[in-house]
Amino acid sequence: MNINVFGATVSALVTAACLAETGNQVTLIGQLPKEMVEPGLKKLLNKQLNLGTLIVSDKHQVDADFHIFSYGDGDCNQALELTEQLAQEAQEHSTLVIRSNFSVHIMRQIIATARMPILINPDFAPEGSAIQAFQRPDRIIIGATDGQAIKRFRRLMAPFNRFRDTIIQMSPESAILTKYATNVLIATRISLMNELALVAEQMHADIEEVRQGMGSDHRIGFSYLYPGVGFGGAYLERDLERVQALIDQTGSGENLLKAVHNINQQQKELLFRKLWSHYECNLEQKKVAIWGISYKPNTNSIEGAPSLVMIQALLHQGCELHLFDPKLDDLFQHWLSTQLLPEQAARVTLHSAMYDCLDQADALCVLTEWKAFWNPDFTQIRQRMRQPLILDGRNLYDKTDLLESGFVYYGVGR
Amino acid sequence: MKQFATYAPLNTLAERLKPIHLNQLFADNPQRFAQFHCQMPGAMLDFSKQKITAEVLDGLVAMAEEAQLKTWIDRLLSGDELNHTEGRKAWHTALRDLSHPLPEVQEQWQKMAFIVDEMHQRQLRGFSGKPITDVINIGVGGSDLGPLMITHALEMQKHPDSPDIHFVSTLDGRQLQSLLAKLNQETTLFIVASKSFTTIDTLSLAETAKSWMKQKCASPQSRMRHFIGISASPDKMKEWGILPQMQLAFWDWVGGRFSLWSSIGLTIALQLGMEGFKQMLAGAHAADVHFKNTPLHENIPALMGLIGIWNTNFLNLAGQAILPYDSRLKHFAGYLEQLEMESNGKHTRRNGDFVDYRTCPILWGEVGPNAQHAFYQLLHQGTERVMSDFILFKEGQGQDERALYHQNLNIANCLAQSRAMMVGQQSDDAHKHYPGDQVSSTLLMTRVDAYHLGMLVAFYEHKVFTQSVIWEINPFDQWGVELGKKIALSILESIDRHDAAHLDQSTQGILQQIWEHNR
Repeated sequence: MNINVFGATVSALVTAACLAETGNQVTLIGQLPKEMVEPGLKKLLNKQLNLGTLIVSDKHQVDADFHIFSYGDGDCNQALELTEQLAQEAQEHSTLVIRSNFSVHIMRQIIATARMPILINPDFAPEGSAIQAFQRPDRIIIGATDGQAIKRFRRLMAPFNRFRDTIIQMSPESAILTKYATNVLIATRISLMNELALVAEQMHADIEEVRQGMGSDHRIGFSYLYPGVGFGGAYLERDLERVQALIDQTGSGENLLKAVHNINQQQKELLFRKLWSHYECNLEQKKVAIWGISYKPNTNSIEGAPSLVMIQALLHQGCELHLFDPKLDDLFQHWLSTQLLPEQAARVTLHSAMYDCLDQADALCVLTEWKAFWNPDFTQIRQRMRQPLILDGRNLYDKTDLLESGFVYYGVGR
Repeated sequence: MKQFATYAPLNTLAERLKPIHLNQLFADNPQRFAQFHCQMPGAMLDFSKQKITAEVLDGLVAMAEEAQLKTWIDRLLSGDELNHTEGRKAWHTALRDLSHPLPEVQEQWQKMAFIVDEMHQRQLRGFSGKPITDVINIGVGGSDLGPLMITHALEMQKHPDSPDIHFVSTLDGRQLQSLLAKLNQETTLFIVASKSFTTIDTLSLAETAKSWMKQKCASPQSRMRHFIGISASPDKMKEWGILPQMQLAFWDWVGGRFSLWSSIGLTIALQLGMEGFKQMLAGAHAADVHFKNTPLHENIPALMGLIGIWNTNFLNLAGQAILPYDSRLKHFAGYLEQLEMESNGKHTRRNGDFVDYRTCPILWGEVGPNAQHAFYQLLHQGTERVMSDFILFKEGQGQDERALYHQNLNIANCLAQSRAMMVGQQSDDAHKHYPGDQVSSTLLMTRVDAYHLGMLVAFYEHKVFTQSVIWEINPFDQWGVELGKKIALSILESIDRHDAAHLDQSTQGILQQIWEHNR
């Protein structure tokens, strides 16, 4: 089939590459980024580009069977403009597929404008394992009313729906809400775990043990039960606000999702608070090392990352910061130069080797669970630091071992 | 005052004018408003409803000249040592000259700006590391009334990241206890504001705050992160435990009731941002410049003062009502009560002689529309002859239809009341007879914002100063408040000892009843 994929997001690239791999002729209307952090993506794209099944162009194929929107949320105006253009050139067999997570308002505008069958197919893939999630999805949601379009889309997705039928068909409105609801439930689970972690600390329980106990209940499951230093990324926080606004319109004044959001904001500063209390509210000229800047492993995205909040807080208290992250790039440099005062930025040093940021440090904060951080050389850490103080924002380490090796250790909820 | 050559002619004029009804003055002179109002950008004073004539005005200005008011104004603004009974300057005007700041004033602005900025960025932290969300100002008198009045008035204009600001002042501790019951130790900051840092009212409350903090925070160093001190006595602040970076200063040349322009105004800056705080200073400075440079005939604060003298000393009026027609100025009358009565409520002249004339009248007030349903009855039909200041703003709050309706209703009521007090009404029914002839001024200002409030307060400061020059008293000391404080300490000792034998019968009797009840 002939397919246009619109957008420059990881979602757009993965969609284009995976559909090209299954025999379709795909045009990607967007730009290939210079650097690709998503595991396996670069290889897959290059293969399809070399085969010619995928081309990158600024012009779409007018007679394509599917126009797939994988725009980022911020590009909704572009999506609207393009919808108008597609409506004017409308072909008999074309279907518009929306994988972007737009606001209800934008979704409705697109639906009203399109003049062709529309299919809402939300992308549930998390960054970091996007290809696998596309190729072996938990479920494929199709929100549509046009029988022919549904039939054609089922055929398009057949290669990814072989083991068992994971397609769930519903109305477009339900599909939109399903996407939102999934994100806010995930966010709510995380914030609840973070609140419970505070309780665990207070009553000398270990949230890790509690997590094991809870997760093994089949009604609950283990996913997204990890306490930590708050979730980042662009999507969860945005959907919390969106859905809270929708809830507000119903007249409910309970603010559940506002609380989820606030808890998360508080949680991003958790390690700062532990450090602050440890040093009795005086962090002036303390040297603090941070491992992990991106909001989660295997991405260079720093949007909403707890590290940014930590960096701000520590700089405001007069600390000197030494940072390491396996994927630090322009995004972070840009943040440093735009969000900090020159005097603050001067107190930040980036290191290209993880142990180098530890020399004479008064604390090490681990914020992201990159693989490299799981089993570090604690002897070297101990030798290099001025104060053997580890704040483990992802509960990566064994508390007892570290205490025995002479470290002061703070985890989350233990 | 009585020795001035200009005094006797004014007295004669007063005797002639007393029986003449205000209605007659308006009937005789179609130019009355044109003749008896003056203005500067942002403010207009209409004093045509006062019982004066051109002759009176000339006489009052002549008396001010005889008292060398202009020289006194220059001495005030240049920082002369005018508070001679305490050996100090009274140089609050130096706090608001943004273009020529004193280095020490500028240093405090920087310290304030840092605190305000950290607060607004949610980087000012409590002991647990959470950002401060609530600020309690502990202070009394000048460390309370000014900031309370301004922050209440400008609540709707607060900076989006302003913390919630609360004020406690009363030594009974009730205000504080009710706040502590609903606030969280982790996110509450106290501002302990006391010029001397020895005021028992303030320090007793601060100690209660400290012990409340102790319930949740064991480390003394961490605990003190929750206390900002503002004082003219750095040693006392240090002694109490205020951390160096949490100390803000002002100086003995800033009187307590003139201190909202200093770092005592921190709550104002926290609420509005430093920019808003400086707008307030700029408004006051504009009034300073007007006071200094404008001929007395057109000088708003000087005329407010001289008219007050005329009413008090020549027409023998007994009270001064303050009637702002804007509920945002809820605490304005309370603020002026201190400013005027603590400044000029005195019976000793600068040279140590007792006065043989009346000085500051009893001043009271309330937001106009509320006062209409309270004490206006007395103004319209009572036996007391009083003077009133109506304060009105051209702009209301909001532009929608209802907001405009309310503003027009408000303007109509303000103008109706000052007119009713002036013209009165004859009636065959004695109970519906309104004598009228109650004098008033109306101060019309552009809008309620930091700039115009700064200007308004400065007008009254300079009114007070003008009157003090004519009355020849020092408006900057307050010896009258000391005696009671001293006796309170000795009675407190008596209570501790449970022995009232040496006290007067009344005090003994009351203490006995309390002790019996609580036994």
